[in-house]
Amino acid sequence: MTRPATARWSLLLFVLPALAVYVMFAVAPLVSSVVMSFFNTDRTLGSVFVGFENYIYLFTEPVVSARFWNALVNNIKYFAIHVLVEVPIGLLMAALLTSGALRRSEGVYRTILFIPATLSVVIVGFIWRLIINPLWGVVGFPLLGNQMTALPTISLMGVWQYVGIPMIFLYSALLAVPNDLVEASRLDGASPWRTFWDIKFPLIVPQFGLIVILTFIWTFNGFDLVFALNGSAPGPNYSTDILGTYFYRTFFGSSGQVADLDLGATVATVIFTIMLLVTALYFWLVQRRLRAHTV
Amino acid sequence: MRRISTGVTTGALVLGVSLAAMTSAVTAQSVTLTLGSWRTEDLAVWQDQVLPAFEAAHPDINVEFAPINTNEYNAAIQSQIEGGTGPDLITCRPFDVNNEWIGRGYFSELDGLAGMANFTDTAKAAWTFEGHAYCVPVAAVLAGFYYNVDIFNELGLTPPTTTAEFIAVLQAIQDSGKYTPLAMGSAESWQLAYNGLYSVGPAYWKGEEGRLGLIDGTKKLTDPEFVEAFKSFAAWRPFLPPGQEALAYPDMTQLFTLGRAAILPDGSWNINQVTSTGLNVGVFGPPAVEAGGQRYLQEMPDMAIGINAASPNQEAARTFLDWVAGPEFQQIYVNTAPGFFAMSNQAVTYDNALAQSFADLKTGASLTPRLALDRLSAGTPPLDDEIWRLLQLMMTTDTTAEQATQELQAGLESWYGPQKGN
Amino acid sequence: MTSIADQPPKPVVDDRRWSAERVLVHVILLAFVVLALGPIFVVIINSLKTTPAIFGGPFALPTAETFSLDGYVRVFTRGNFIANYSNSLIVTVSAVALTVVFSTLAAYALVEYRLTALVPILTGLFLIGVMLPIRLGTIPIIKIMVAWGIMDTLLALILVYTAMSIPLAVTLMMTYFRTVPTELKEAARMDGANEWQTFLIALPLVRPGLAAVATVTMLPIWNDLWFPLILAPGKANQTVTLGVQQFVGQFLNDYPALLAALTLGAVPLVLLFTVFSRQFISGLSQGYSK
Repeated sequence: MTRPATARWSLLLFVLPALAVYVMFAVAPLVSSVVMSFFNTDRTLGSVFVGFENYIYLFTEPVVSARFWNALVNNIKYFAIHVLVEVPIGLLMAALLTSGALRRSEGVYRTILFIPATLSVVIVGFIWRLIINPLWGVVGFPLLGNQMTALPTISLMGVWQYVGIPMIFLYSALLAVPNDLVEASRLDGASPWRTFWDIKFPLIVPQFGLIVILTFIWTFNGFDLVFALNGSAPGPNYSTDILGTYFYRTFFGSSGQVADLDLGATVATVIFTIMLLVTALYFWLVQRRLRAHTV
Repeated sequence: MRRISTGVTTGALVLGVSLAAMTSAVTAQSVTLTLGSWRTEDLAVWQDQVLPAFEAAHPDINVEFAPINTNEYNAAIQSQIEGGTGPDLITCRPFDVNNEWIGRGYFSELDGLAGMANFTDTAKAAWTFEGHAYCVPVAAVLAGFYYNVDIFNELGLTPPTTTAEFIAVLQAIQDSGKYTPLAMGSAESWQLAYNGLYSVGPAYWKGEEGRLGLIDGTKKLTDPEFVEAFKSFAAWRPFLPPGQEALAYPDMTQLFTLGRAAILPDGSWNINQVTSTGLNVGVFGPPAVEAGGQRYLQEMPDMAIGINAASPNQEAARTFLDWVAGPEFQQIYVNTAPGFFAMSNQAVTYDNALAQSFADLKTGASLTPRLALDRLSAGTPPLDDEIWRLLQLMMTTDTTAEQATQELQAGLESWYGPQKGN
Repeated sequence: MTSIADQPPKPVVDDRRWSAERVLVHVILLAFVVLALGPIFVVIINSLKTTPAIFGGPFALPTAETFSLDGYVRVFTRGNFIANYSNSLIVTVSAVALTVVFSTLAAYALVEYRLTALVPILTGLFLIGVMLPIRLGTIPIIKIMVAWGIMDTLLALILVYTAMSIPLAVTLMMTYFRTVPTELKEAARMDGANEWQTFLIALPLVRPGLAAVATVTMLPIWNDLWFPLILAPGKANQTVTLGVQQFVGQFLNDYPALLAALTLGAVPLVLLFTVFSRQFISGLSQGYSK
């Protein structure tokens, strides 16, 4: 083990470059924005400290709070669809890629299956809108025009685009599974299915947990795809409004809605708090146990 | 450790070099102004026609047209100006959004600008705040109905002048079984309001009478004239294409230009697109309620240009705006961007035949801007956004005109002073 | 380094035998390939057609009548596509490189010196960053860039993207560094290696992590529209995403040019990904185990 004094200095030197850039261009600007949520900026009075007034307004004003809860519920659905569809498919892809059944084609599949993740949301939005268009496309039903189907439809477009991410994560985790363990299981006569669930999967559970929580974070920070398809007041009847679009509309305004910087900062702080709580809870309750189990 | 420190030094070096490169760039003689706009499709108009004309007369001022995608425009301009930068010249949105910007001090006041004399108070109203003018009006847009002349001839139809005739025409096209009567979809709710309700509605709420009545609190959205207007729009629903719930604005335009739909309710801004395939297109205005009744037409102040208060080039910017307010600019702009109409009180001619037909619709019609953008959308919930949402519900679910107007009135009463306690 | 080369080789699959299992794997993966590439194929064929043909028959191949390269022509004549391309490449590659270097160093230290009191605080600080909606900080970020005199430069973008990517990169790299056996590092130290040299010995073992970090970092940076719009909107500094936007109008979209620009815009990222994944992951096939 390194001596404590050496350790402290090494730690600082190693961490410094990352910390400096991160604090200067991400933490500091965000903190000063969060501070805004405790102020009220008025064209005549300037900025006045108002304590939690913006928060009280957010949760008590009927329309503002109803839209917030609506966006939160939609976001939970948006996350659920991603986690139930995208992560399992990504796992399946990763498992097939590392099943040992492929040789030269492994890299080709890996690259091709990842391609959708490299596209901009402008392409994804355009092409899927065209494919499922009742006039020109292959689906007669107005999927995006129905309050029941619009959000699942957009979620599945997101799944189509980003399934390569859990795939590549879990793939690289599976590659790290020691071959001798897999070989031993095979020699014992276990089927590939059993080998996967009994030997490989338990070893990648921490990474699996990580991709679930990252999916949570990404979907709760989600914005681009919904915005590209449905703008900043996503319909029909706000059925595809998620927290990201709700924040954008509040902070920057929409064509018919005047922007409110203080309230926007409040919304962002609330979203951030929700994510922080869920993630912290996850790490305390789940992830630690997973690691304890596998080591 | 040595390698880390060299890494850090290299980083600092790169930083220093780029800083030096930055500072050396700003030493030219002439002034360059940037003009922020949401009209991405006007890039060629400004680059090839408008700006060369200005720069010919003012060789010491260069203007660069820097459009930002419409959806991001408001957000980008706000962030830049709040951060202390932004283009020298800012294209102004009409009414409430711009008033908020003026209130925050984004714009320099234009009261002394000579060219402002070319505009009436009505023309300036959308960009006037507490009695002061902040933007030079550039263009207004009109909304009406494009129709496929060949289809009308084939079916022996003539453009309708009353609501009853309009429905009869739609029914006749429907009965022919060959064409979709109306190219319209509900996916983009803004256009249900701007191309639909705000076109046919004014005939019921009597244009300015109804609009100003809502503003001063003497009228309510639940009054019969408004409910009738919403009903008149809802009557379109059987004539929309299948799957209209999910059709967006480009879909409806394409449906019309491909010759598969007979009528496109749309704004004058779309002239270039609807004629791009060489289709024989005519235009008619919103029908009157009854034969011989007053016709109304939506004329919306759409675009103006103001000066960023933080711009270091105030003088040059004023010179430019003075030119924008004059006849030379107006003439060039409206003819290179057909469908946009001059707002000054000087005579302008339109080369584009369809633009001229649109302009002709103004004759004998009572003009009125979009219903809900002036004052009625400055609070939460903003009336304009709410109208979009409820029209979408009316066209896609079983929400009725009565339910929609009730909900709208309740929303407006919840924050808008003159409507409270009615 | 020697300890890695000594690992047993990966078991070799007999590639002459087409067992039912292998066929099934290929069938499923091919189905996924069709799903992944089908829509992209539709984008490409439509980029070669006229606007009426795009909507008239979106799934039809271009015919002599509907074939048109106008979209591509307009992309190269109207826009500054080459300049946009190189701007995007400079920004993406620089930001990814800085992110990978900085966060690998930081993650190594946070795992290696975990007994130091500061570590939990620093780890938490980085972890929180994964969740931050960076758009919220837009206005203060502009103020910093103005103060530094780097508004409207690529450097501004590189710094913001690096800052934005570091939290996730550090968090990910930490999970990979945890899998590096302590004995390896202790053995190195016994041999007289200093902390830097010990780090270099551990580095090859986290190659898949580097690949994952580079990939995940690269995607949002290449495709981001917001910060180029805000921090580097000037003509000389426009990125591909911003260049593409000129074909998206308020009402009027130039579809052939838009699809052509999007098609061309996607190519470098696919290439970058191929390079990254080859570079890092293929190294593993030599054998890597704990």
